[in-house]
Amino acid sequence: MTFKQLVLGGAAIASLSVTAFAHSGATGLVKERMDAMKTMGDAVKRIKPMMSGEAAYDEAAVREAAQAIAEEAGTAMTEKFPEGSTDHPSEVLPRTWDEWDRFTGLAEQLEVAANGLARAAGNGRHGDGHMMGDQSGMMGQDMMSGQSVMMGGGMMMGNGEFPEHMTASQIGQMPADGAFMMLTQTCSACHDHYRKDDD
Amino acid sequence: MRPVFTGLLAIVAVAGLSGVSLAVWPIGEPPRLAELEGDAQRGGYLARAGGCIACHSDPDSSRPALTGGAPIKTGFGTFVPPNLTPHETSGIGAWSIDDFARAVRQGVAPDGAPYYPAFPYAFYGHLSDQDIADMWAAFQGVATHEVTGGESEITFPFNLRFGLKLWRAAYAEGPPTDADPERSEAWNRGRWLVNGVAHCGACHTDRNLLGGRRASRSLAGSDDLPGGGKVPAIRSGDLGQAGWTVSSLAYGLKSGVMPDGDTFGSGMGEVVRHGTAWLSEEDRRAMAAFLLDKDETGDGS
Repeated sequence: MTFKQLVLGGAAIASLSVTAFAHSGATGLVKERMDAMKTMGDAVKRIKPMMSGEAAYDEAAVREAAQAIAEEAGTAMTEKFPEGSTDHPSEVLPRTWDEWDRFTGLAEQLEVAANGLARAAGNGRHGDGHMMGDQSGMMGQDMMSGQSVMMGGGMMMGNGEFPEHMTASQIGQMPADGAFMMLTQTCSACHDHYRKDDD
Repeated sequence: MRPVFTGLLAIVAVAGLSGVSLAVWPIGEPPRLAELEGDAQRGGYLARAGGCIACHSDPDSSRPALTGGAPIKTGFGTFVPPNLTPHETSGIGAWSIDDFARAVRQGVAPDGAPYYPAFPYAFYGHLSDQDIADMWAAFQGVATHEVTGGESEITFPFNLRFGLKLWRAAYAEGPPTDADPERSEAWNRGRWLVNGVAHCGACHTDRNLLGGRRASRSLAGSDDLPGGGKVPAIRSGDLGQAGWTVSSLAYGLKSGVMPDGDTFGSGMGEVVRHGTAWLSEEDRRAMAAFLLDKDETGDGS
């Protein structure tokens, strides 16, 4: 083996390992955020039956799940999405970085909703039985005019965003199931725009 | 034969015929649409269930609700859902209730032109006169706005609207919504919603090259949505396999939460946010019962 071959071989190995390093780094990051999503999904799954009335309500469990979600939301989430981190098996859509402000806005909104749910945990369930849609239940009102049904009027704006200046302590005044819906619909609003379709 | 006898025979024959005619002669014609009193609250509910508000509003624009939806990019061109506020020229302010009924139930514009199937009128054909009157009342109550989302751009040859007449003849029939006396009231209500006004099959049923739904693939999913989107199969077996129950599916249509704790995406979140979350618990349970092919809506189902 000549010196030249050695150098070339070494360079080849070095470049390979750089590639491998970069790749494993990206995989690590993708894995990290998938784990974070799983953590939040598990928290939602634990308390969902309490919100739908399929299981007995447990205030402590709701608070704990809400806190677990809050920890993964906001910057904890967005810092796991550096530009272009779309390596397999990531499900993120490239559009995320074109609409970065909106994406980070939803991540922050998730944190507000989760902190709000933690505060609302003690309020218990509002229950069902409204004549009109349950969006009105989120506002603690049973009646909605035809006009507000037509034009919006729930707690969420049409695009899934909260009204400006909505705070966790405001959400904390709501029945826990209403706060939970604000949280899960925030998850959905983000998945609608920034996650690939399931295969 | 003597003329008098012939005459008598004729009279008897006419009398007999009249008897038959009398029996089937319709009297008390159904009230015309314009004479029906519309309930705007109920109409708003149907407009939510039908996705009118979701599709004809674009919250990402700065325009008010119902002034026109986000553009829908398809293989046939880009469709922009129009302004449905009572504005005279931009909206439907110059329409009569009969125009509205024909547009919604038959997919024909006031000028007689057929609509493109991007407007899922095939699923609205079952709406009753009262339903239409209620929806009309609701639409008349919204604030008037002139602004629109722009014009649709349909590519040749699909921009030649007369071709749509053939399309209508072949595909304009929606899935069945009529009541099945063998099934529960909830199942039937669910069928009326799912196969009808809530038009689940507009996305969850695959379409052929001409954009016609493949009836045999009803609710079996599609990987060819506008923009290249995919939607899962939602037949009873598929939903059962994915872990859904009547209770969890009804709650999923309210909250967006799936059995594994994940939440909907790919546009289904919007369907919930703008549509099914506004429905009554009873209606969501009915939809879930029909989709899972159950007669019961209780927690055990």
